[in-house]
Amino acid sequence: MEKDKVKFFDRMKSNEYYVRWLKNPFTYVTAAVLLALFQIVTLAVTKNAWGVSGAFAVWGAWLYQGIGGNVDKWYYFASDSAQATLNNGILNHPDSWRNFGIIFGALAATLLASGFKFKKIKSIKQVFAATIGGLLMGYGARLAFGCNIGALFGGIASLSLSGWIFGIGMFFGAVVGSKLLVKYFM
Amino acid sequence: MGEQNTSTPSRRSAAPRKKKKNQIPLGFLTVGIIIVIAILLNTVSSTVSFYWLTGSIFGFILQKGRFCFTASMRDPYLTGSTSVTRAVIITFAITTIGFSAIKYGYASSGQSIPGMSSVVPISLATVIGAFLFGIGMVIAGGCASGTLMRVGEGFAMNALAFFFFIVGSLWGAHDFGFWKEKFISNGVTVFLPDVFGWIGAVVLQLLVLLTLYIVAEKYEKKRNSSHNL
Amino acid sequence: MKEVMLDCFGEACPVPLIKTQNKLKELEIGDVLIVQIDHSCAMKNVPEWARTEGYNVEVEEVDDGEWEVIIEKNK
Repeated sequence: MEKDKVKFFDRMKSNEYYVRWLKNPFTYVTAAVLLALFQIVTLAVTKNAWGVSGAFAVWGAWLYQGIGGNVDKWYYFASDSAQATLNNGILNHPDSWRNFGIIFGALAATLLASGFKFKKIKSIKQVFAATIGGLLMGYGARLAFGCNIGALFGGIASLSLSGWIFGIGMFFGAVVGSKLLVKYFM
Repeated sequence: MGEQNTSTPSRRSAAPRKKKKNQIPLGFLTVGIIIVIAILLNTVSSTVSFYWLTGSIFGFILQKGRFCFTASMRDPYLTGSTSVTRAVIITFAITTIGFSAIKYGYASSGQSIPGMSSVVPISLATVIGAFLFGIGMVIAGGCASGTLMRVGEGFAMNALAFFFFIVGSLWGAHDFGFWKEKFISNGVTVFLPDVFGWIGAVVLQLLVLLTLYIVAEKYEKKRNSSHNL
Repeated sequence: MKEVMLDCFGEACPVPLIKTQNKLKELEIGDVLIVQIDHSCAMKNVPEWARTEGYNVEVEEVDDGEWEVIIEKNK
């Protein structure tokens, strides 16, 4: 039984539909269209655009509370809705689960293409890059009300000028980041 | 599909071929886990379950497409390539049409427009925040969605970036009061249909996106031809 | 007609592509560069770049999540 099951999945590797849809990458255009489709679905169903970075601030608050900190006096968390979010816990926080979903969806895609490999950190430069890069993204996203998904994608698609301003700022940041990357982190 | 070559070079690598493990069963197992969790979450809240499912779909699409917003902004400068840039423009154009149709539907029947939380005040905080974000995403090797995607792909470096993204977010939330008082509260909120009307705003935005697309394509061709000289 | 290996395992985007571009500049016509990659973005953007440059490119999957991009500098 076990051997038949294994042979089934081995034969799948050469199945035409497996190769076209699960093995091979999508073209950029295919992915572009699909992302637009599900972003529109998101607005239609949830009444808000897709957002990623908002949840990170909530996770940060929960972790901070976990080690004895308190965010209730902070302007960011002082509003009734923010307090409700913090108090209702992670099971009632949809944004958190959408982010977890992204991780699992990507994992599923990688495994289905039989392409998963755990990639360790290679050098101390990578540690600095990940640390500094992560901090900058987190801080910047709070100032700008979102990240590449919430502020840029959501903002522009929502016909808000803020999305375009974010895009311009992000572009110049990317240029500077590229120079720094090549000079210090490669 | 084009992953396997246009013309074959003369030899193959002599690196020893390990027997590849077939991970497809694990892939289906993961899909099964996603579905089971969706069902379990649905007992708590159908909203949370929906978000989990759409998140999984987004993660799947992003990974299969190697779709990276970071690359869309970084590659034109660093490598001269604008293929991801142009794909992002396509996404924005299609979504603009879909979003505007939904929003106009609500507006024209007198109901409150969904998704207005994406229309935020523009101030120095926006510019600085976006600038910092842009630097960070290139250095960290992934933007917000890209970081999550790569955690799912098994990159330890992006998992580390993910942790510090959370820390940075907390820090930003801590300082937000300062930015709000000094800059954001003086900011201007511009919802394009208020300025150009609904049709005007949509047409204008699509024209801008179309122009950017053409510029991006020409730019890539120009950078390539100057390479080959 | 040399064959050169370029180990880019564990490198973050866009490092494999930049290293590939720099290495190819050093090689002579007829040389073959084999880039070892385990980053899914690079597995797409390195061959894409090499093909727009006009080189002969072949991509081989050597293990789960590991690829070799074989680029022949033919011009």
